[in-house]
Amino acid sequence: MLYKSELKSLAGCILVVAGLSACSANGDYPGTEYAPQMYHSVPYEPLSQITDESAGGWLSSSGNQTAEFYNSNPHNPNRMTMREPAENTVKRAGSLPYRYPKDTAGSTYYLDLAAQTLRNPLPENEEILAGGRLLYDNFCSPCHGGAGAGDGPVGEVYKGVPNFSAGRYAEMTEGHIFHVITHGQGRMWPYASQVDPEERWKIVRYVQTLQKQQ
Amino acid sequence: MSFIGKTGPDLKSLAPVAWLICLLLFNGMEAFAQDGDGNVPPAVEQDSDAAIEPSDSPQPVAAAGGIPDSEEAITQGRQLFNGNCKVCHAINEVVVGPALAGIHERRPVEWIHAFVKNSQKVIQSGDTYAVNLFNQYNKTQMPPFNFSDEEINSILAYIKNETDNPVQANSPAEAVDGNQQGGSGGGSGISSDYLAIIVAALLVVLLLVLVVLILVVAVLNKYLGQRADLDPADKEIVQGGVKVSDIVKSRPFIAFVIFLFVSILAKTVLDSLFLVGIQQGYQPEQPIAFSHKLHAGQYQINCNYCHTGVYKAKSANIPSVNICMNCHNTIKTESPEIQKLYSAVENNKPIEWVRIHNLPDLAYFNHSQHVNVGGVECQTCHGQIQEMEVVYQHAELTMGWCINCHRETEINAEGNEYYDKLVKLHNANTGEPFRVKDIGGLECSKCHY
Repeated sequence: MLYKSELKSLAGCILVVAGLSACSANGDYPGTEYAPQMYHSVPYEPLSQITDESAGGWLSSSGNQTAEFYNSNPHNPNRMTMREPAENTVKRAGSLPYRYPKDTAGSTYYLDLAAQTLRNPLPENEEILAGGRLLYDNFCSPCHGGAGAGDGPVGEVYKGVPNFSAGRYAEMTEGHIFHVITHGQGRMWPYASQVDPEERWKIVRYVQTLQKQQ
Repeated sequence: MSFIGKTGPDLKSLAPVAWLICLLLFNGMEAFAQDGDGNVPPAVEQDSDAAIEPSDSPQPVAAAGGIPDSEEAITQGRQLFNGNCKVCHAINEVVVGPALAGIHERRPVEWIHAFVKNSQKVIQSGDTYAVNLFNQYNKTQMPPFNFSDEEINSILAYIKNETDNPVQANSPAEAVDGNQQGGSGGGSGISSDYLAIIVAALLVVLLLVLVVLILVVAVLNKYLGQRADLDPADKEIVQGGVKVSDIVKSRPFIAFVIFLFVSILAKTVLDSLFLVGIQQGYQPEQPIAFSHKLHAGQYQINCNYCHTGVYKAKSANIPSVNICMNCHNTIKTESPEIQKLYSAVENNKPIEWVRIHNLPDLAYFNHSQHVNVGGVECQTCHGQIQEMEVVYQHAELTMGWCINCHRETEINAEGNEYYDKLVKLHNANTGEPFRVKDIGGLECSKCHY
């Protein structure tokens, strides 16, 4: 045929385009990497974990090592690249860890102790209050509501969220609030992993202004 | 078999009698349960409490004894209830403590007073009901409340009012439905199906017009061809001066088609080549069907709540299961997706979320630097995450994309002495605003080292 060679080249062009469009990311496929050896971290990357020792093997030049993409620590639990800090270690900068443990079920011994003895180490000023407000909005307001009335969108579903400015909740001391943020109380779970002690004291300062409102 | 056949009729004859007894018992109970106003309290779910109650209850409680039913008392009671009791009690469901609907009928008012004022005292006195209650609710202590008798009575008045006149509360599920309906209805005036039908109808009409026009031309041509009194020039036009096949075979036309084809092909190839190494649109399936639209959108949980590192560290962090459990110890516990959280906790095995944003290792990016210091919104790079059911990579994450932002973004260096002299120098030399590129935002080693 006259047009046979033209048809062939046309088909070739379409194939090239189709092949190239398969390089882009889509759904479960992250897309073709241009320079994989420069994309994948050799040191442990905290938030990625590739446990397959042969992943990216087609890139490796030496035969006796794990493959190019392998990034996981076999000595850690679950072969993670992250570890929890060793127990009883203290962060270099910042406040000392909080020592009062969580009360056993039914007891309020440490809660009462904290309520009576703990004092806020942070000064009472605008900056601390603004910081506390930001932290409160991010971590507490989903349940406790913007003004501490217990009417946050999550609180409505979670149930049993108190109003800071009513009843005995308006009387709670700074130590009490700090202890509850750290260890939880009643239905509230502990927030120690999300806010560090200094941040907790900032939140306490802000919550105290919510307690005083009418 | 014959034995059963024998007794059968006997039982049947007894049945009406049994019915009568049942009816009588029921009526009697209803009469007991009726309060002063003669209102029959609605059936309230009391599954947990019913178990404790002795079988011969309801006891003749001093019905409405001392419980006021004035508006003021109910309002005061509502305030006190919301301020003090709501944390652990709801009217119709078990929260931390039992549901309180109908409490004034279940227990004597004196007992309630004593329990509210000091529950431990009542339990230690050996009161069977109190001890059973204490054990049933995992020995959770109800703290003592310093209420006066009137205050407790007003709370009881509120509870009684709520028991007798249950309010249809808007459940969150209904709210969601409402939102979704509003969303789909309000998006565009006409639905896409409707639009497609209109377009198809238009196309059909246009095609019909085309056919009619062609027919008209043919008829006219035929008519003109039959006429003999035309000059040769006109005749040429009538007989089809320009043939389609001539146009198709003409060199300029072929050249134009080839040019069009080659340029489209070249553009497609180039575009696809530029997509190599870019993961924009990557939307992997996650081990748990977590919806950002629900959590960040509907429930307005701040990104920082789960991504705790975003203000402090290089990585924003993927939350560990304990953060999920802050709410899901209670919320939606039956869902199979939430059950995956529980099995992760039980087996102490982290959930392996699939990482979506894989910035190449050759570039350094720090969240705290951008979010905390730079004040960049999460949505600037991650898109409208609060509307994503399943998260995908919104931005290109290419160098050009980074650099472009560094070129355009203005910096607020106020209150940061470190930049004071630089800002002064910058303002003396140029009238342009102080941007990221002016503090080294285009230096190679800022991101590549």
